[in-house]
Amino acid sequence: MTQESEWEPKLLGFLCRWCSYAGADLAGTSRKKYPANIRIIKVPCSGRVDSLFILKALRMGFDGVLVSGCHPGDCHYQTGNYRARRRIAITKKFLDYLGIEPQRLQASWVSASEGGKFAEVVTDVTNGLKEVGPNRLFERKNDGAKTKAGSEGTARTKKG
Amino acid sequence: MAKKISKKDIAQLLKTWSQQFTVLAPSRASGVAEMAEWDGKDTSFLDWYRNTTVPPKASFLPPMEEMFRFRKDEEGYRIEPPDKNGRKQLLFGIRPCDARAMAILDMTFEDAYKDPYYLEKRRNTVLVGMGCTNPCESCFCTSMGTSPTDPTNVDIMLIDIGDHFLVEAVTDKGKELITKTKDLKEAAKSDEAEAEKSKETSYNKVVRKLDTKGIKDKLRDSFDDEEFWEKTAAKCISCGICTLLCPTCYCFDINDETDKGEGTRFRSWDSCGFSAYTKMPMENPRSEKWRRVRQKVCHKYEFYPMAFDVIACTGCGRCIRLCPVNWDITQVIESVPDRVKGAK
Amino acid sequence: MMEQKLRQEAKALLEQKKVDWIVGFETGSLKFTTTPLITKDIADTERLVINPFITNNLANFLTEIEGRVGIVAKGCESRSIVSLIQDNKVAREDLVILAVPCPGIIDLAKIERLVGKDRDELEDISRDGDKVSVKVDGQKKDFAVADVLFDHCLACELPTPTEYDILLGEPRLPTPDLKASGQNIVDLKELTSAERWAKWQDEMSRCIRCYACRNVCPACFCERCFVEETEPQWVMPMPQWPDNLIFQIIRNIHVAGRCTDCGECERVCPVNIPLRSLTREMYDIVGELFKFKSGMDKDALPLMVHYEQEEAEEFFK
Repeated sequence: MTQESEWEPKLLGFLCRWCSYAGADLAGTSRKKYPANIRIIKVPCSGRVDSLFILKALRMGFDGVLVSGCHPGDCHYQTGNYRARRRIAITKKFLDYLGIEPQRLQASWVSASEGGKFAEVVTDVTNGLKEVGPNRLFERKNDGAKTKAGSEGTARTKKG
Repeated sequence: MAKKISKKDIAQLLKTWSQQFTVLAPSRASGVAEMAEWDGKDTSFLDWYRNTTVPPKASFLPPMEEMFRFRKDEEGYRIEPPDKNGRKQLLFGIRPCDARAMAILDMTFEDAYKDPYYLEKRRNTVLVGMGCTNPCESCFCTSMGTSPTDPTNVDIMLIDIGDHFLVEAVTDKGKELITKTKDLKEAAKSDEAEAEKSKETSYNKVVRKLDTKGIKDKLRDSFDDEEFWEKTAAKCISCGICTLLCPTCYCFDINDETDKGEGTRFRSWDSCGFSAYTKMPMENPRSEKWRRVRQKVCHKYEFYPMAFDVIACTGCGRCIRLCPVNWDITQVIESVPDRVKGAK
Repeated sequence: MMEQKLRQEAKALLEQKKVDWIVGFETGSLKFTTTPLITKDIADTERLVINPFITNNLANFLTEIEGRVGIVAKGCESRSIVSLIQDNKVAREDLVILAVPCPGIIDLAKIERLVGKDRDELEDISRDGDKVSVKVDGQKKDFAVADVLFDHCLACELPTPTEYDILLGEPRLPTPDLKASGQNIVDLKELTSAERWAKWQDEMSRCIRCYACRNVCPACFCERCFVEETEPQWVMPMPQWPDNLIFQIIRNIHVAGRCTDCGECERVCPVNIPLRSLTREMYDIVGELFKFKSGMDKDALPLMVHYEQEEAEEFFK
């Protein structure tokens, strides 16, 4: 964004194809501004999002994940977003307990006509990530290697 | 001429050896009993150590090991082998069952293909064995070609004689190290007699016995007995505990972890007990649990003897005491029918 | 008493061909140990036991045994069985549930810590009501039952199955002591986010990926687990702490609503990872958010199938 801040959070968004993705499209065509930090993956339904995707994203280095779907009651597949709601709810509480910052998993209901809301949500989430800082959750720590085996055979490679 | 050392002087001994070697000793600091880099002062293991949960093979065939790194540049792939530090290690306190297991593992890793990763560590390590005084209920080493105080496969052997350990050289490497180690005192004849008594006492404490006579042929004759193997495998849950924590098991998997054109090739522990172990694109020859259980038993008690003339089991008992369902190899071996005599 | 009745009933079930299999416990090959008995043989029923060491969750075997099963069930097993019925993994008609009212199972690790000796160095362990006596070195030491039972037994909400065919003893009422059983979690919650994450990094550093936790769990019945997937490779198979931790996190999320806090995962872990501090927390989250307790009502819909019109969406923007 500006030249002062070097780090820009990387946000991964899972948008359901029927509502939220269309809503994102509408934000674009309506020329609503929202931060370019989000990378979008289209899924058929928010219920498609297994918590595995969320953890994998954080593992790969994304600073945050946003899951967005149709409003409850409006799911194209009737009940998909109810599954998502339950699943994301328990995931959120569980990750919180584990020590993952709550800003890193966010969720929203954005319908196909809510271009403005989409832009707001992304702005909101991105600001939250800027506050909480870069994702250092899975950066390797070295001491685990020492007690294991003792010899240098266990590699904890230093990346980058 | 044997030497001895007071248990109170063990810390000093390890300090002396630490100047020359990376000393590995029994430790519970990580949360589980395993051989770990000695922290420079703790010898409390002298109180609690019977045997580690993670076997000493982990120091030679680690749970996870870097094979090489690779990078892609304009000219192609660059391979970087791992840093060979050539560091000398001293493994302090290895039990005879685990030392014998190392010798059994050597047969595989020194066979047609000499495994450089394993051998580099193995050849740079001095094994200081410690005889058992308190064998576990699950131990059956005396039936498997060794004993609680067997010095055969170590460089230096320690025998517990109360307040002291008797220290004996076994190999030339061991003899050389003892000569250079000033912390050791001369042992008296009475110490050596005490050691003999201690050895006998320990031997008799091993209550679990297993008759392995003819097991190779018995297993061969039972290979197709699906009913026997189904019954034997019924309660197994196909986890990897017995194999991963077995001192003679050595299966490993190789995987690449890549990130944008560069990465590392690792090898890591694998288990024939896992349901996906033999999974291939077209089929899985051991998808049924009974086949995997049969494989494990036969590998250790039939196939390895066929290849190397030794049963790949040293009676350390870890599989018995750590198994979630108390599946017991000694019970299984005893139950293999003797078809020649027409039994069962 | 219960043992006698169990052996008779099991024998009768096989003789009358009401079941194909009997699944229960028999004496193990180590002191103070039992082992699962899975048999079609009438003669084997004589070996069935009920004692303070029947630790395993036998429901785990139901997803692989074919045929009708007469299964010994403590409270925790019966909840896992009900959960499997809810998931359509096993049919109620295929089961004859032999209910064992359970007074709690003795945790040998706790006794080892209290007595300062390993389990094979103890001469005897016996329970008499609220007391557990341990005989070691010729002497007897008494402990309160609450000090030596498994944590998950202290928290038990269903000691006596409510779904059963044959009741083997006097039903016991639940007396859950959540304070005693949840101390680890309480302690964890006192730490900051960063401290908690660091602690889990630490714990998962010694995981060797034996998958005993997963394989011993009745709720984990997938034929192909996500860790075995290579396209895409969700978690690397090497035992490095990030992948170990992700494995546990996802496993817990995947079994949410089906985990009955039977505690087997923590008991079987060979490297002493406090897994119940994860499973119990998930169990509590599910209870708090959706008032759902796994395995209590066989006619209830599974957690992830049911939904209310309005629920649990405070953080949804």
